[in-house]
Amino acid sequence: MGVYRNLLIIVSMIFILMSCSEKQDFGQYDDLTITPTYETSIFYVKTQESIINRVTGINFFSQDFNFDAFEDDLFAERVLEGSITYQLENTTSKDIEISIQFLDESGNVLDSELFQMNATPSALLTREVAYGGAGKNLDILRNTSEIRLSAENLGDNSSTSNLPDPAIILRSSAKFMVRIK
Amino acid sequence: MNLLKSLSFFLLLFCNFLMAQNKQILYDFNEIPQSLLINPGVETDFKWYSGIPLISGVSGYGGTNGISVNDIFAEDGLDINDKVRQRMVYRMTPRDEFSGNIQLELINFGFRGADPDIFYSMGAYLELDEITYWPQDYAYLIFDGNADQLNRRFDLGDLKTRGSLVSVYHIGMNKKIDDKLTIGARGKIYSGIVDYNSTRNDGYLVNTEGQNNTFTTTLSSDLELRTSGFGALDSASDDGTLSNTLVKRALFGGDLGLGLDLGFSYRFNKQTVLTGSLLDVGFIYHSGDTKSYSLTGNASSEGIEINVLRDFSNLNRDFWQDLVDEIEELVPFESSESGYITFRPTKLNVSLRYDFGKPIGNSLENCDCTINSGSRSLSRVAYRNSIGGHVFLVNRPRGPQSAITAFYMRRLGNILALKATYTADKFSYTNMGFGFSLQAGPINLYAMADNLLSYRNIAASNYASFQLGLNIISWGRK
Repeated sequence: MGVYRNLLIIVSMIFILMSCSEKQDFGQYDDLTITPTYETSIFYVKTQESIINRVTGINFFSQDFNFDAFEDDLFAERVLEGSITYQLENTTSKDIEISIQFLDESGNVLDSELFQMNATPSALLTREVAYGGAGKNLDILRNTSEIRLSAENLGDNSSTSNLPDPAIILRSSAKFMVRIK
Repeated sequence: MNLLKSLSFFLLLFCNFLMAQNKQILYDFNEIPQSLLINPGVETDFKWYSGIPLISGVSGYGGTNGISVNDIFAEDGLDINDKVRQRMVYRMTPRDEFSGNIQLELINFGFRGADPDIFYSMGAYLELDEITYWPQDYAYLIFDGNADQLNRRFDLGDLKTRGSLVSVYHIGMNKKIDDKLTIGARGKIYSGIVDYNSTRNDGYLVNTEGQNNTFTTTLSSDLELRTSGFGALDSASDDGTLSNTLVKRALFGGDLGLGLDLGFSYRFNKQTVLTGSLLDVGFIYHSGDTKSYSLTGNASSEGIEINVLRDFSNLNRDFWQDLVDEIEELVPFESSESGYITFRPTKLNVSLRYDFGKPIGNSLENCDCTINSGSRSLSRVAYRNSIGGHVFLVNRPRGPQSAITAFYMRRLGNILALKATYTADKFSYTNMGFGFSLQAGPINLYAMADNLLSYRNIAASNYASFQLGLNIISWGRK
């Protein structure tokens, strides 16, 4: 029986020996890079003119918001570069100034963006802020735990725009490249 | 050229990219007892047979119809990033698959009953079966992401995969009704060792223009992954009792199921035979060690949305956490331990064979007889040559998959039978196969392989399969 068992092994080896293969280099796998780019909206804030008129003083809005998206390991450890795009729309009768600050867990300001916009009619203000590469340091985002949003009324507290539903609207979206491999 | 590389590719093909195998060479090769496993109604002339345990039947198959190892890893000076993107990500479709099957017979034996027209066969084998379709839109998301893809729906239904390791215990009966018709049936008990499947997925991910913010990101998800047996094996691995647990689950200690094979052979005349078989009409009920995961629901988000007028009295709330909680509530990731049923990949074989040349059972040809020739009636005489065609169908998660084969068979006395095949299927239009059955006294050795042309560069092959084994056979119907 041993003879036949050996014969079986020989036959199976023949199949293997008959097979040839061009030279392969499996080490190429190490050179494979997977770096997709994802984008989505991040935050949207709308402040109606009626609210602005109700607040006395210049600073009509200031609020810190928890924002852990950038701090999450899934993002923080893999992000390579990207940008945040802000879009500001002012349909009120007031000149305004908006400040966005990125704060770490201790409340320290890591970065800020300042927007000034004239009263309506005014064009849509769009600003793209790059991070990583030639842009700002990515550590700003990696360490961001909160976002402070402040708005100042550089006009009066009584006028009202003729446009329907006058408000200051801040839109934002993020577009980042991450390394999967 | 390079033995180690060739061996590596065999192992890669047969162990990693391992579908229910089309055994077109073994089918209706009635000199080999294992042909009973593919058609329980094959014409048999064994008095009894016994497979040599563990080596009586070893078969394997691996196929990747959309890509080959060579396409990616050839030492051609091209950047692997370009090759992967151009040849996989941007070229392969959800109908392309990575699949395979390995079958190892543990025991297999058969004997003729008191009624010489009835032949019984029984045994057990292990079967590893796997198929994964190319998850096209997942690949786009992973390699490119969703940026600058406004209104592009990424289809989450592209994920279809299933696999199982099962031990199968079977007993079959083959009965010659008359000189024209032989029928057979085989009952099976499946003992599932491990199983995973994720085949009924649906949904999409899309970025559209936002109503308030720049984008609305919408996730519509109906995804499910069901598993069985992995928890027990994981625990056993930690406890150092893996082999015991494997054996226990293989011996009815895991998931249980039932199956049925049916087959027939019908002679239109002395030289023309129609055969057919339906295999693995069955199911396995998975229970006891099951774990299922699901992600089901619909959610649309434009990020954190603060309407100061609306939220004026509640501006201190955690908008980020509220957003995360809302999405998790709308599209919850859940797990359960409820049982489930899987159906075996049912296979259909049909063949038409025409025998010609000198009849082996003719007394005038006693120098060229088969072992069993003396017992054959004139209407079931074997001939030196056979040609024919064979159709194979198997149900897959994306619908039936077919293969068509033309074959030529040559019998050289009592000792050797040879069979050559040409098969066309989704993997190859140039699949040439070859197999033999060698009878040396009571010892029967058989081996077969197909897609032989691809052996010139096995790394560039989309498909390879083999079957081999060793049996002891006693011929004669009485």
